[in-house]
Amino acid sequence: MSNDVSLHGHSEVAASHNAHHEEHGVHHHKEAFITKYVFSQDHKMICKQFIITGMIWAILGGLMSVLFRLQLGYPDTSFPILEDIFGKWAQGGKIKPEFYYALVTMHGTVLVFFVLTGGLSGTFANFLIPLQVGARDMASPFLNMLSYWFFFMASVVILSSLFVQTGPASGGWTVYPPLSALGDASQGSKAGIDLWITGMALFVVSSLLGGLNYITTILNMRTKGMSMTRLPLTIWAILFTAILGVLSFPVLLSGLILLLFDRHAGTSFYLSDIFISSTQKALPNEGGSAILFQHLFWFLGHPEVYIIILPAMGLVSEVLSVNSRKPVFGYMAMVGSLFAITILAFLVWAHHMFITGLNPFLGSVFVLLTLLIAVPSAIKVFNWLTTLWKGNIRFTPAMLFAIGFVSLFISGGLTGIFLGNSTLDIALHDTYFVVAHFHIVMGVSAFFGMFAGVYHWFPKMYGRYLNNTMGYIHFWVTLIGAYLIFWPMHYEGLAGMPRRYMDYSGWVSFRQFGDLNRFISTVAMVVFAVQLMFVFNFFYSIFKGRRVTNQNPWGAATMEWTTPIRPGHGNWPGEIPEVHRWAYDYAKDGREFIPQTEPVSGNESKH
Amino acid sequence: MSEVHLDAAGHEEPSFSTKAIWRTFWVLLIITLLELTLAIIYYESPGLRPYKHFVNGLYVIGTLAKAFFIIAEFMHLRHEIKNLILSLVFPAMLFIWFLIAFLWDGNSFKNLRNRYDRYEYQQSQTPLAKKPGVE
Amino acid sequence: MSQAITAGQKWWSGGKSPYNVEYGKLMMWFFLMSDAFTFGAFLISYGTIRFSSNSWPNPNEVFRSFPGVKGEMPIPLAFVSLMTFILIMSSVTMVMAVAAGHNNDRKGVMKWMAWTILGGLAFLSCQAWEWTHLHSEGAWWGANPFLNIDGTQSSTNFTNFFFTITGFHGFHVFSGVIINIIMLIMTWKGSFDRKGHYLMIEKAGLYWHFVDLVWVFVFTCFYLL
Repeated sequence: MSNDVSLHGHSEVAASHNAHHEEHGVHHHKEAFITKYVFSQDHKMICKQFIITGMIWAILGGLMSVLFRLQLGYPDTSFPILEDIFGKWAQGGKIKPEFYYALVTMHGTVLVFFVLTGGLSGTFANFLIPLQVGARDMASPFLNMLSYWFFFMASVVILSSLFVQTGPASGGWTVYPPLSALGDASQGSKAGIDLWITGMALFVVSSLLGGLNYITTILNMRTKGMSMTRLPLTIWAILFTAILGVLSFPVLLSGLILLLFDRHAGTSFYLSDIFISSTQKALPNEGGSAILFQHLFWFLGHPEVYIIILPAMGLVSEVLSVNSRKPVFGYMAMVGSLFAITILAFLVWAHHMFITGLNPFLGSVFVLLTLLIAVPSAIKVFNWLTTLWKGNIRFTPAMLFAIGFVSLFISGGLTGIFLGNSTLDIALHDTYFVVAHFHIVMGVSAFFGMFAGVYHWFPKMYGRYLNNTMGYIHFWVTLIGAYLIFWPMHYEGLAGMPRRYMDYSGWVSFRQFGDLNRFISTVAMVVFAVQLMFVFNFFYSIFKGRRVTNQNPWGAATMEWTTPIRPGHGNWPGEIPEVHRWAYDYAKDGREFIPQTEPVSGNESKH
Repeated sequence: MSEVHLDAAGHEEPSFSTKAIWRTFWVLLIITLLELTLAIIYYESPGLRPYKHFVNGLYVIGTLAKAFFIIAEFMHLRHEIKNLILSLVFPAMLFIWFLIAFLWDGNSFKNLRNRYDRYEYQQSQTPLAKKPGVE
Repeated sequence: MSQAITAGQKWWSGGKSPYNVEYGKLMMWFFLMSDAFTFGAFLISYGTIRFSSNSWPNPNEVFRSFPGVKGEMPIPLAFVSLMTFILIMSSVTMVMAVAAGHNNDRKGVMKWMAWTILGGLAFLSCQAWEWTHLHSEGAWWGANPFLNIDGTQSSTNFTNFFFTITGFHGFHVFSGVIINIIMLIMTWKGSFDRKGHYLMIEKAGLYWHFVDLVWVFVFTCFYLL
C-alpha cells in the first residue's frame, strides 16, 4: 500500500492515463482528421508516420545512389535527361564534380540518419514498445508526437538544402572541418552546411524526445508480470538503441554548435594554419584542431552504427524464433551481447580515425577495444544459427529477410575485423573495401532487418497482409543484388581503389575496373527498381491487401497479437492482460506456442 | 494514513529536513572557499609554480566532492532506491574513457606539432614583448 | 497488500516502476544525463584544445574585476565567487520549494520559488555584467586580448570556449528561470493543489540543480585550473 502511495504520482498518472485510453479504446468515438492522422498521439499512428516518411527518404536517398552509380558506371557517357532535371548541376548531361559530392553526402546523411535511424527506430520502437510490453501508449504520447514533428521539420530543412543555389552540404556525411567550416573552400560549404547543421540539430531533438520516451516506457510502463527477462528481444534491442542515442547524440550536437561558431563567429575550434587557394588567402585562425571534430563526430558516429543495427538485430531475433517455431537460442546471452555491444559502442570511436593523425599508441588501444566487439557479435550470430538449427522453418518473406540479415551480417562483419586493425587500415582506409564493409554490415543488413520487421508486423499495423509473391521477388533480387553490388567492391578496395572519386578512367591501375563498375551500376539500378516494387506493394496492400482474419496470424507468443486485429487507441479493449511467462515458449509440451499471457499450469515442463 | 503520508512526503521524511539542506549548503560553500583560498595562495606565491598539477588535483577533488553533494542531497539521489542510482551512475562512467582518450590525443597533437612544425614551436615559445616589431 | 520499500521487493517484475518514481521524473533524470553529455562534450573539447596548446592565459589575471571597483581587485576571482554563491544559494531555495511541495504547502512553495527565480535572475545579471566587462576589454568570440601565462601570444580559443560554454550554461539558467516562473504561476493558480501533488516542482528542481552542478564544473575548468 505504502508503495502505491509513495508513487501516488505514478499510479495516479497511470490511472488517469488508462482511463483516458480505455475511453478511446472502448467507445471508438470519432476523432477529428487532424488529431487522428496528423497530430496524432497514438503510438501506432506515429509509427506509420515514421515509416512513410522513412520510405520517402529511402527512395530519395536510393535515387541519389543510382545517379552517382550512373556516373561511376558510365563516366564517358552523357545523359541529356540529367540536364533536364538538374540543370546546371549536370550541364551537358554529365554530373558535375560538386554535384557528385553533394549526391554522395546527401545519400549518406539521408540513409544513415533519416532512414535507418529515424525511419527504423522511429517505426518499430513506436509500434512495438507499447504493444509488446503491455502499455496503453508511450509514457508521454505528447512528447512522442513532438518527436515525429521534429523529425519532420528536420526532414524539411534537409530537403530544402537540396534546392539552395550553392547546393546541399557536400563534404561527406561526416562534415569534417576545415572543409565544412569554410564557406570559401567549396560550393557545398556555404548555405548547404548551415541547413545541414540546422537539420541535424532538429534531428537530435527528435531522437532525444523519442529515446527518452522509449526508455521510460520500457522501464516504467511494463504490464504486470512483464519482468525484464520476459521482454521480447526486440524490446531489449530498442532499449539499448535508445540509450545509445540519448547518450551520444548530444555530443554530436556540441560538436556541431562549435562548428557553427567556427563558420560564423570567427572562432578557431577546429581551424589552424589554413590557406584557401580559391581566394588566395591565409586565414588568421590559430590553435584549433580538426581532429577534435573527428573525435566529437565519431563519439556519436560509432554508437550511431549500432543505433542502426541493434533494432534490426532485435527484429530479426524475434522473426527467426517465431518462424522457426523454436525458442530463441540463448536468450540471456542475446541480452548480454546486446549490452556488451552497447558498452563497447562508446569505447571504440577512434577506429574511424586511425590515419588522421591520431596518436598511434592510443590507436592501438582502440584496436584492442574494437576487436572485442567481435565477441558479442559472434555470440549473436551463433545464437541465430542455433535458433534456426532443427527448427520447423516457415519461409515467409519476413523469415527470408531475417535469414538474409544473418548472412549479410556475417559477410560484412568479417571484413570489420580487417578494418579494425590499425596497420591494415593504413592500406585499406578510404578505399572501396570500407565502402563494401559498411554497406553490407550496417546498410543492407539493417535494411534486411527492417524489411523482416515490415513483412512480419504489417498485418498488425494495417490489418492486411503484404503480397507474398512480390515479397519473394523483393527478397531474392535484393539479396543477390546486394552481394553482386558490394562483393566486387572488396576486390576494388584491396587493389587500392579510393572512394569519393567520380571517374577512375584516368588511372592505369583502376581503369581495369571499368567493366566491373558498369556491372555494379547495372545491378544497383535493378535493385533500386525492386525496392520501388516493395513500396508499391506496401501502399497497395494497405488498401487492397488480403485481410487478416486471424488475431494471431503467425502463431507468435508475444503480446501484440493478443490485441484486436485493428487495435484502437489504447490497444487492449479491456484490462491489459497480465504476463506469466517469457516471450519464447514455442514447441513446448507438444504445443506449437504458448502466449505470454497464459498462466503457467502446474504440470508444465520447465524450460 | 500517517504512515502513508510519511511515504508520500519523500521516502524518508528526514531527507528533506531543512537542517540537512543547510548542512549541504555549508559544505558546498566551505569547499568553494577552500578552492578559492588555494587559488589565491597559489597565485600569490611563485614558489608553488612547480606544484601546479598537484594543485589542479586538489581542485578536481573539490569539484567532484561538490558534484557529489549536489547530486546526492539537492537532487535527492542518495535517498532514491538503488536501481535508480545505479542506472544513472553507470552511464556516467562512460565519461572516464571519453575524457582520457580526448585529453590524451589533445596532448599528443601538441607534441606532434611541436616536433614537426619547429617554426611554429619557436614562435609559441617567444613572449610577445620580445618579438620583433612589438613594442 | 503492503508493498513497503524493502530490499526483497521485486522491482523489475512489471506493473510498477522499477525505480519507484513516476515516468516524468525518470524522463527528467535521463534527459539530464543526456544534457550532461552535451556539457561534457563542450568541457572535454575545451580540455582537449588546452592540452593541444603550449600555453594558456592565467584566469587569475583575467578575472579580477568587480562591479563598482575601479581598476583591479586586490584578490582575483572575487566576482565569480559571488556568482557561485548566488547559484548555490538559489539551489538551496529550490530544495526548500521542493520540500514545501512535499508537504503540500502552497504558500511555502511560492515563497521559495520566488527566491529561486530571483537568484537565477541575479546570476544572469552577474553574467551579463561579466560578459560586458570582458567585451569592453576586447574579448569576444574570435578576439582574445589576453596573453598566455608565459607572456606569449595566445590563440583566441581561450575566449572562444569561455563565451561558448558560459553562454550555453547561461542559456540553461535562462530556460530554468522561465520554467521556474511557469511553475510559480501554476502553483499560484493552484494547479498542483488540484493534482494533489507537487511533483512538477520536483522535476523543475532537478533541472535547476543540474544547472548548478554544471556551474561547479564550469567554475573549476575556467577559473581555477
